[in-house]
Formats: sequence, structure tokens, C-alpha cells
Amino acid sequence: MKRLSRLSVIALGALLSTAAVPALVVSGAAAEAQAATLSGGFDVGPGGFQGNFNPLAATAGFTWLSVYYEPLIAYDEKLQKVIGALASSYEVSSDQMTYTFKLTDAKWHDGKPFTAKDAKFTMGLAMDAKTGSVLAARLKGISSVETPDEHTVVIKLSAPSSSFPDTMTKVMMLPEHALSSIPADQLAKNTWWSTAPIGTGPFKFTKYVSDQYVELAANTDYRGGKPALERVINRYFANPAAAIAALRSGEIQFTYVDSNDVPTFKDNKDFQVIEGNSFVVNYLGFNHESPLWKDVRVRQAVMYAINRDAIIQSLYGGAAKPANCAYVADQLIPQGIDSYAYDPEEAKQLLTEAGWDQINGGKPITLLTYYTTPLATNVLAAVQAMLAQVGINIVPRAVDAPTYNSIVLNATPDIAQFQLVYAGLQNGPDAGSINVGLNEKQIPPAGPNVARVRMPDLTKALDTALAEPDSTKRDAAYQDVCKVMNTNLPWATLWVANRYGIVSTKVKDFVWTPAPGGGPYQANPQKWSIAE
Amino acid sequence: MLQYSLRRLIIGMGMLVALSMLIFLLLRLTPGDPIDAYIDPNLPMSPSDLADLRRSLGLDQPLPAQYLGWLQQALTGNLGYSIKRLDQPVLGLVLSRIGPTVLLMGTALAFAIVAGITFGVIGAVRRNSLADLSLSVIALAGISSPAFLSALIGLYIFSVRLHWMPSGGMLTPGEEFSLGDLLHHLILPAALLSVAQAALIMRYMRASLLEVLNQDYVRTARAKGVREFWVITKHALRNALLPIVTLIGSTIGLAIGGAIFIESVFNWPGMGLLLVDAVQTRDYPVIMGATLVIGACVIVVNLLTDITYAVVDPRIKVG
Repeated sequence: MKRLSRLSVIALGALLSTAAVPALVVSGAAAEAQAATLSGGFDVGPGGFQGNFNPLAATAGFTWLSVYYEPLIAYDEKLQKVIGALASSYEVSSDQMTYTFKLTDAKWHDGKPFTAKDAKFTMGLAMDAKTGSVLAARLKGISSVETPDEHTVVIKLSAPSSSFPDTMTKVMMLPEHALSSIPADQLAKNTWWSTAPIGTGPFKFTKYVSDQYVELAANTDYRGGKPALERVINRYFANPAAAIAALRSGEIQFTYVDSNDVPTFKDNKDFQVIEGNSFVVNYLGFNHESPLWKDVRVRQAVMYAINRDAIIQSLYGGAAKPANCAYVADQLIPQGIDSYAYDPEEAKQLLTEAGWDQINGGKPITLLTYYTTPLATNVLAAVQAMLAQVGINIVPRAVDAPTYNSIVLNATPDIAQFQLVYAGLQNGPDAGSINVGLNEKQIPPAGPNVARVRMPDLTKALDTALAEPDSTKRDAAYQDVCKVMNTNLPWATLWVANRYGIVSTKVKDFVWTPAPGGGPYQANPQKWSIAE
Repeated sequence: MLQYSLRRLIIGMGMLVALSMLIFLLLRLTPGDPIDAYIDPNLPMSPSDLADLRRSLGLDQPLPAQYLGWLQQALTGNLGYSIKRLDQPVLGLVLSRIGPTVLLMGTALAFAIVAGITFGVIGAVRRNSLADLSLSVIALAGISSPAFLSALIGLYIFSVRLHWMPSGGMLTPGEEFSLGDLLHHLILPAALLSVAQAALIMRYMRASLLEVLNQDYVRTARAKGVREFWVITKHALRNALLPIVTLIGSTIGLAIGGAIFIESVFNWPGMGLLLVDAVQTRDYPVIMGATLVIGACVIVVNLLTDITYAVVDPRIKVG
């Protein structure tokens, strides 16, 4: 048997050697965090857009894009007002149709000056759908872009639009000298975006490693001062859980997290929790083409039957606010609207009055959603149970976003597939953004009013608010929208949840705001720093 | 032998075309198309802009025309452009992912073969000992744990808790390339990927060697006074290895499936991650390209297995 054990030893030795060789190399190259480099999962979560480098195609991901590109104007870090970025100031004419932007002295990363010609060129790209610009439809109201001198841009609109400044915050300035030779329809396919882009921001693009990370280096000539960090790295993760693993193992210093991951960081002194409004209202959208929801009493019954406070407390850990219309900002909510406090008896009563037994009875109703997170699954299970108690039998069906879009945006939809949807729509910082989900003119295929809401009162209220140039009067107009929503219930509005980011306490002066689409807002990346 | 290989290769090509047709059809049967993944439900987009986008991606053509157009281009080596990343040709994208996947799977396979054969031999030689029993239990656990589960557990233990290994990626971001850094990132995903395969190989190795050890010629060898070490290594092992060669070939498919999970969990920039990403965003050209390349690999590996089999066992003649 001695020989046998020798055999075992040799075999074991062979096995260990394959495992040990890399192990030895590893100890020599232990990853040391480099000073003055901030790594983060900037594109994790709903505000991110991994793999997109083209601001014209960006429906999200502005948190990261605005580290190296800049718009003329941006939100402040609280998302309350629009302030100058590449424009030092801007003026609006009294008829609200002419915007005059005064440009600062800024330089592109290649040293060339940023001028009004660049701004006009960028506007041309953003207004042209051929470039793949997702902003084209929203910039249709522009009648002219003029450049009276090198530092002035004048944009004229054909009608006042209260959403115009919000849209302009998303137009990142692009260099004419680098892009003018590329035909518009070839622009999106060009490799410039992921290999050699130049902006005017505090950091310069240096490297993109496919599906791994993007690296930026400090722009030492930045007009707002030399950045404190040497580099900023944006790492890509397949999901928030992978990003959290990297955060906890110390490889990154910042990432977005789902609300149910927050408790594990709350009492940890190595991390700081950043909390903020998501500006996304979650709702049950009644398909108004379905006969089930014709009677407003049925829609009211749905509101009364759902115990929103209980769901917010037990599933969101209190980190959400109930919504009784599409808005949550105080100045947009009028006094005296119905709060639809949980009242299952009232719900039953309303259903009896409406003759629910005749309308649908206990037959199952498909509730379609693109939310597939564990939190959403639990929320829908709770909603299903609560509605069942009053006699409405819903069956949730969660699909991926492309499938959802293909069903609900179809010009000739199959109503049976989505008599009810569970969805979210952004309602800020520009309150006008809710229009697309409720205005009759936005019914597919024209727009994303997937619930097919046809309420003349509501459409009129929205149109009035959108065209109102005066900001005080505009708030009043949005209050009217809120009132109509609250009374007519195009949707059963549920709540607006908070969103969270986690940052290492070693990081100083870091600004992150859970803005829809990632912003853009004034994050001042040149001030970010990291302790040794 | 050459003729046989050629014939197998030609059949393989036919299978690839059939595979591409099947994938194409299945993709088009799923609800939604790339446009639905491309657009943001919160943004208005005019119907004419949508139609333009569809036309520019060739999605307005009838299905057979779309497929034939694709096939014609594919035969010239042009697999089209990614829809999600418009500036990336699919062929380049897929080719750039082969290296990382081969590295990951190759290392995992090496781990699996060494560990599987070693422990299999120990199990057979020390049959029913404590070592054998514990190895059997571990192997059973290894075979029955799905790749994503072992990946998550491994990630939690070695990266999040112990901080020994990086939590993902192939290289440390922002650092110059170094072999040590690569190995540091490689070792954990490769080890986890090899678990199921190693367990399978071990089980087969043990059974196969036990069977051989009962054969007459082994008894003869022992009777001749050959030392036990040589009996096992020279006489028994070689014959016992035969079925293992086939097994290793056929576990490549298993490893590809596992690699897709491991690559997703560890953000390893290989074919699996590419494929998962492409499926999520309905990036048809990339799904087609990646599937074809994976299919081609499986066909080639199977062919190589058969050839290796003939080399290991001279009695077998392919023809």
C-alpha cells in the first residue's frame, strides 16, 4: 500500500501545482488602490446607460456623460432650478419664445476654443433624427438657431414651451471641428464616440475597455479649476448585486443600490448612504380601451382597495411617498384632493354600485409589467391579494422591457394582454414630462400614452400647463392637471419611491443625485477627491 | 482519416446553416423587436422616425428576404453591425470575445481534468475509504450545484468576505496589463467553472478505473510482480482514460452553458456575457453571430474529440 500512497502524493502534488502557480503570482500583484483615482458604478441602476457614449442617443446615463461633456445649461445639484454650464447666463424674452445664451470661455479637450458655432452645430445634430438623436422630437419647436457673435447663441421657438430649458439640459455640446466631416446618417456608427471623444468637461476620455470600464483623466486646463482627482473610472456591472460586491470588496467607491440593499449599509461607518427622490411615479394604468374600467367607480374602488401605506412601510421600508396624482412636489399638489385612504368596504360598495359582477366578476385580469425586480414582484403580490379581497382578480405578468414595449406600443393592440399595466413615469424635475403618458395626442403610435387615456379635460389641462410661460401660473396649471387626475383617475397612482446611492466615506465633496436618466445636474466632478 | 474529417466538417457547415435558420426563426417569433429595446417608453418618438429607424436596420423587409440577405453577407464574412452598439461590426465584437472565453474555459478545463482524474484515481485505489467517501460526497455536491449558485457563493466568500480575489472583470481597471493581474482575475471564475466538470470527470474516472482494475491483465501484471504504482499508471490508467476522453469532449457543451453564468456573474468579457447582453437588448445580429461561433466551436471540439479518441486507442479506426 506504500506505493499507492506515493501515487496519491504525486497526483495531489500535480493538482496543487496547477493551483499554486497562479496563487504565487497573485500575491506579488495584489491590487492596490491607486491614490487619486475614483472608481464607481456610475452606470448601474435606472439612471445609467452602459455602453452608450453618444449623448445624442442618451435616454439615460447623464451622471457619467456629464463628467466629460457639458450642456449649455444644467440643473443645480438639488434639481430645483436650471443654471448655466457652458452658458454663463441665459435670458428669455418676454414672449417666452427667444432664448439668448451667453457662452463662457471654454476649451475643448484638444485645446481648441469652444464657440457659438459649436453650439449651433450641436443643435443641428440634436434636431436631426437622422443622427439617431433621441431629442429630435422634443426640439421640433425650434424655428431658428442664430449666432450673432462667437459668444452668443440665440434660439427662437415657434411657440412657448415650458419644457424647453429641461430639454436643453440634455443637449451635450459637441465639437464641430471633430465631427463636421461625418455625414449625419453615419454619425451614430462612427467609432469616435468610444475611442477619441472630446468634450469641455473636467475630465478627458482616455480609454474604454469593451464591457469592462471607461477611464477618464483630469483635464488640467479645466476652466473651473484643476480637478482634485487624477482619474475617474466607470466600471460596468451586469447588475446592482455585482456592483455591491465590488463596493464591499473595496474595488469601487460608489454605486447605485436598490432600496432593499440599503439596510446593510446604514450602520456601516465605511459607507455613506445618499437618499433622494426618484421622481418616478408608479401607477396601475387602466387600459381605457378595455370596457372593464369605463365606470369611474371601478377605478375609484381600485384606489380604495390598495393599502398603499402598508406596502410602503413593509416593502419599501418607508422610503416612498403615496401619490394621489402624478406629482409629488408640494407646489404642484392642490389643497383638498382626495387622498383615497385605504377603505376596502368603500371599494366593495363602489364595485357593487357599478355592477362589477356584470362587468367582470371574478374572471382574471392580466396585469402587465416590465418591472422584474424582487421588490416589484412582492409589491404586485400584495396588490393582487388586496384587490382580491374586494373581488377584483388580477394576474400579474412580468415581461422584459422590449416585450412590454411591443405589446403596449402596438398601433392595433390586443387589449386582453394588458387590461392593466404596472409602470412608472418620470414626473420631474420638469413637471411637463408626465404629459406623454396622459395626453390624448400621445396615444400609440404617436407617443407613449399606453393606457390610451382619452380624457378631454385632462388633455386640455396638460396643454394649458405646457404652454404657460409664467412659472407661478404654470404651477397653478399643473395643480389643475393634478385635480383632474385625482378626480377622473386615468391611472391608479400609487407612490413615488426614493432611490439610493452608496459612497465610501473616504470620498470627499462627491455629488450624486438620483435624477431621472442620471441628470444632468451640476455635480462638480473637478472637486471630487479621495482620502488615502 | 483526412477524408473523414473533411466530411465531418462539411456536415458541420450544413448544421451551422440549419442552426442559423433556427435561431433566426426563433428570434423573430419572440414578441418585440430591436426597436422595442432601442426606444425609451418615456420618450415620444414620431411614427415616421420609428419607420426610418426600422428601415435603416432592414427590419421592414419580409422575413425570408431578411434571412437570405443576412446569409449572403455572412458567407462573405460580414455578420452585420450590432444594433445596440452601432459602431461595432458583429464579427469584430464576436472575435474579440473568443480569447477571454477560451482562456476561461481552457483554464477551467485544465483544472477539471487534473482534479477530476487525480481524485478519481484516489477514489478508485482507496475504494470505500474515508477519503473516497468524502470525495464522492463533494463530487455529488459539485455535480448538483448549478454554476450560478456556486459562482455567487464563491464570489461572496473569496471576494466580498475574504477580499482575496477581485469581484469581477478581467483586468484591474486603469492599470497596465500584467500577467499576474490577469491570473488574479482568472483563478476564481475558472475554478468555479471547473467544479461541475471536475466532479463529473472524477465520478467517471473512479468507475472506469475500478472496472479496469478487475480485469485479468491487471491481475496478470500484479502476478508478474509489477510494482503497484506501475500497475496503475502504466497498465490500468491508460485503458481507464479512454471513456474519459469522450466524456471531456462532451462536457464542453456543459462548460459553455456554465461559462455563460460565470461570465455574467464575474463580468468576464467573453462570449457568454456578450450573448446575455445581446438577448436582453434584442440585438439580433449579435445573437446570430455569437450563436454561430459557439456552434462552430462545439462542432470542431466534437471532431477533435473523435480524432483524439483514435489517437489514444489505436484499435479504433475512423473511416
